[in-house]
Amino acid sequence: MLGFLLRRLGIALCVAVTVSLISFSLLHLSGDLATAIGGPEASSEQIEQIRVQYGLDKPLATQYVNWLGDVLRLDLGNSFFFQESVYNLIASRLPITLSLGAMALVVALVVAIPLGVLAAVKRDTWIDRLALSIAVLGQAMPSFWFALMLIVLFAVTLHWLPVSGNATWAHFVMPAIALGYYATPAIMRLTRAGMLDVLASDYIRTARAKGLRPGRVLFKHALRNALIPVVAVAAVEFGFMLGGSVVIETVFSLQGIGQLAWDAIARNDFPVVQAVVLLIALIYIVLTLLADLLNAVLDPRIRVR
Amino acid sequence: MSTPATLAINDYLPPPSGLGRRLRHCFGHRGFALGAGLLLLIIIGAVCAPLLAPHDPYAQDVMQRMKPPVWMAKGTWQYPLGTDKLGRDYLSRLLFGARISLFIGLAAAVISGLIGTVLGLLAGYFGGKVDALISYLITTRLAMPVVMVALASASLMGGSLNVVIVLLGCLLWDRFAVVVRAAVQQIRDAEYVAAAQALGCTTPRILFSEILPNLVGALIVVATLEMAHAILLESALSFLGVGVQPPTPSWGLMIAEGKPYMFFSPWVIAIPGVALMLLVLAINLLGDGIRDLILPDGRN
Amino acid sequence: MGIKGFARSAVLLGMFFSTFAFADKANDTLVYASDSEPENISPYHNDLREGVVLARLAWDNLVYRDPDTGEYKPMLATAWKQVDDSTLDFDIRQGVKFQDGTPLTADDVVFTLNYVVAPDSKVVTVQNVSWIGSAEKLGDFKVRLHMKKPFPPALEYLSNAVPIFPKAYFEKVGLAGYSKQPIGTGPYKVVSVVAGEGVTLVRNDDYFKDSPQGMPHIKNLQFKVIPDAETRTAELMTGAVDWIWRVAPDQAEQLKQMPNLSVVSGGTMRIGFLILDARGTSSENSPMKNLKVRQAINYAINREGLASQLVGGESKPLQVACYPAQFGCDPSVATVYNYDPAKAKALLKEAGYPDGFETEIFAYRDRDYVEAIIGNLRAVGIKANLRYLKYAALRDQQRGGHVPISFQAWGSFSILDTSASAGTWFKGNPDDNIKDPQVQGWLQTADNALDPEVRKANYRKALQRISEQAYWTPLFNYSLNYAYNHDLQFKPYPDELPRFVLSRWN
Repeated sequence: MLGFLLRRLGIALCVAVTVSLISFSLLHLSGDLATAIGGPEASSEQIEQIRVQYGLDKPLATQYVNWLGDVLRLDLGNSFFFQESVYNLIASRLPITLSLGAMALVVALVVAIPLGVLAAVKRDTWIDRLALSIAVLGQAMPSFWFALMLIVLFAVTLHWLPVSGNATWAHFVMPAIALGYYATPAIMRLTRAGMLDVLASDYIRTARAKGLRPGRVLFKHALRNALIPVVAVAAVEFGFMLGGSVVIETVFSLQGIGQLAWDAIARNDFPVVQAVVLLIALIYIVLTLLADLLNAVLDPRIRVR
Repeated sequence: MSTPATLAINDYLPPPSGLGRRLRHCFGHRGFALGAGLLLLIIIGAVCAPLLAPHDPYAQDVMQRMKPPVWMAKGTWQYPLGTDKLGRDYLSRLLFGARISLFIGLAAAVISGLIGTVLGLLAGYFGGKVDALISYLITTRLAMPVVMVALASASLMGGSLNVVIVLLGCLLWDRFAVVVRAAVQQIRDAEYVAAAQALGCTTPRILFSEILPNLVGALIVVATLEMAHAILLESALSFLGVGVQPPTPSWGLMIAEGKPYMFFSPWVIAIPGVALMLLVLAINLLGDGIRDLILPDGRN
Repeated sequence: MGIKGFARSAVLLGMFFSTFAFADKANDTLVYASDSEPENISPYHNDLREGVVLARLAWDNLVYRDPDTGEYKPMLATAWKQVDDSTLDFDIRQGVKFQDGTPLTADDVVFTLNYVVAPDSKVVTVQNVSWIGSAEKLGDFKVRLHMKKPFPPALEYLSNAVPIFPKAYFEKVGLAGYSKQPIGTGPYKVVSVVAGEGVTLVRNDDYFKDSPQGMPHIKNLQFKVIPDAETRTAELMTGAVDWIWRVAPDQAEQLKQMPNLSVVSGGTMRIGFLILDARGTSSENSPMKNLKVRQAINYAINREGLASQLVGGESKPLQVACYPAQFGCDPSVATVYNYDPAKAKALLKEAGYPDGFETEIFAYRDRDYVEAIIGNLRAVGIKANLRYLKYAALRDQQRGGHVPISFQAWGSFSILDTSASAGTWFKGNPDDNIKDPQVQGWLQTADNALDPEVRKANYRKALQRISEQAYWTPLFNYSLNYAYNHDLQFKPYPDELPRFVLSRWN
């Protein structure tokens, strides 16, 4: 088990470094950074001075190593646009994106798990197909379009929910639905498959044979076992949602890291873009690692591989 | 936003036998029939757009702005789906927009399919160090937030049809690689591959003439998924203004351009949105259907 | 640093569970929303309209221009005297306090005027202060202002774009600190500045009684940054925001139907225009170098259609590179380029582009106007691909000379003088992409001459050449639509400066 853990940790670390390398290269695609920092007023001497001051005169490899060193010390540099360190910008925006991601995950689970269970229990009936259709629809709708439709209906027409901002939990309802619906089909299918497996297994048959009530069998025994893989996948889906939240945050003017990154992209504020990409990748890596560990604990066969 | 790799491996294993003899069941499968029918309609609309479109999709007419579609009180058959804010015929733009979506979906799927298949073949066939390296590439690719990287790159390079296609092609290959790798690992030791090796066939030949044909079914399934994915991503990029640029009639762009009118004339965004949804739905249903048909027990 | 960041995270998480109060008349809070946020709230360190609005709320200028009469009135200066062609003396008002309680003295005025012209200050609004030479203290409440050269519109600039900073506080906190917690003498005090969200202000109850703009009425002001136009509209429709502007004409028409909203529109000084890369810095073979191509573009655009159909309201087509009500802006000197696609095509053919060409058009706002322009250009064979950027990014591209055609809008900082429009874009400043020495010379003379007739004559020459050479394609002046809670009293002015100080609840 320890060997498996160490190997996985090692790979995760390498992946993080590779992603950081890619996001760093992204920064240097944007052209001459010194000119960008100096702004249009800067004279060529000033730009040279900046180049030296920020270490931009050194070879790219040296710069990358320096940047990586700074990142390890949690120093992500300064935003070109705001008078603020990237670290502070991200620290102030991250809770919003995390709240959004968490609520979206809740939405996805609340929709997908009951649908999955229902589909499994009523296998191959119209209920099964209906459940699948609801889930598939979520995957087919462009999330930004779904978000706009939600605004038209629930905010402007019905006045039930606020449109934009992050002041209360109610502000997160529509963004969470728009973001969470997309993840529904994967979780629903997994729940359904898991339920079918478990329902066909020996111990459920035994439980039934012992005369336990069907509802009790379903929820106490079957669902609990069927949900184990779902938990692992949910963790990974959460990582995907953080990356995908940029579109939703833009539509709802939610000031999370997605919106921060999008604004930064438009302003050529690349230290911010780079840091956000790295951060989301890191969160994803940690989540997949956790999911893998969870699977490994639950299913010893994986460790052997 | 894609399904994790661990799922994909189990979900899209190649068929145990050829899919030919199952084809006659195809249209008995409701999802497949519905998806195929819908997709066929959209393809016909896109291919025959110049014949079907009542107007030039680029022609502006400021006197005919924001005409409602025919089913609404003031709608006329002159503009069956109404006109946009610059007086361009909505139906014509929708038909030409189908070409953009289909083209981007197809092109991105082909590019990512090529990259993913080659990587998957190499990883699966050679195993060992090659496999470790390619698996590592796949993991790295999965860790990168697709939407954000696509946004940043498209904005850096300046959005255009070509940029979007290349970008999506380079970002969506992971599932192809995962599936092909897993499938090749299974086939590698099959008798006919061993026979080919014994006959002295070269490695590329074995890969492309012996192994690849067995993966066609799985590849088609993944291709439908990625095509749908690419179409949705393109619409999001265009919606945010870094994808296909105006005046090209992309559906995502049409939603962006109709957005100012959504509170009082919701049909302006409803129409392209529903079109996108139907197209993606059709592709997804088709993909699901193919998978069910070639892997009857796969889902359970 | 880190601790602060986490503290803020905690506050945000707290807000997440708190209840949200709708801002309106009942709790005396006016929430106004706009699309962009100043990169720095210091009025000299951003050139956004939102920044100008904030500058008028939290700061005061030396002089006040009455928006109804155009008359200059005493503000922070009680009196002024022209000593010679390039020297002005000011008596500073006594008893005015900055919002931190320190009294305003000549030191603050001298400090501000000298600070803004110092190169290290990295002032963004260079064109507003570049005429200032230096300031000297003559007494505790007496200041002498030396101009670099005679500059006739000095009072116009001093009444609009030269707010006074507190010396002691600014020196203590520096620009970075000041941008987070600015202090001025204005009618509203900045409570907080949150990047990406907006600015909260509260009425300055110690505001000086004799201010020509009077005392503020509404207690709380909140500026919310909502980049997305439809989100702003939806927020207004649902009552979370009380005031929005830049509402597109179609939407203004629709909002008029809503019972709880008022909609007004007013023509503004803001002009829309295309800058054509006449020097060809964007690429060596740029078709824009060719005069005939630039003229063709001018003939290709349907200005009337744009002004009446798309911009709507009080918008008028424009042929001259300034706003006609500005001093020195004579529209009659401009070559009139009427909408004539056939002529445009003929000119393109003469220029050696019988089949047109492909180029890029850069823009940062008004996407649908730009699309209509692209449509017009397409009709004569010019395929212009849109590059849509944020303002700061576009400005960098423009100043770097990488832009073949850009769509720009300019509000002249509300200054009614051609030096603030043509003067900003053609006088060799960073924004001058054309760099025509003749035009630069005439504009220099016009900006600095004391004789109004000499000024007018030189502006005329400059504007005429700009138009003949088709360096720009002037398009229209903007009409601005405002939509707001019908409980609010609000009056628009052509200088595009919402005066919330004058607003009150019904």
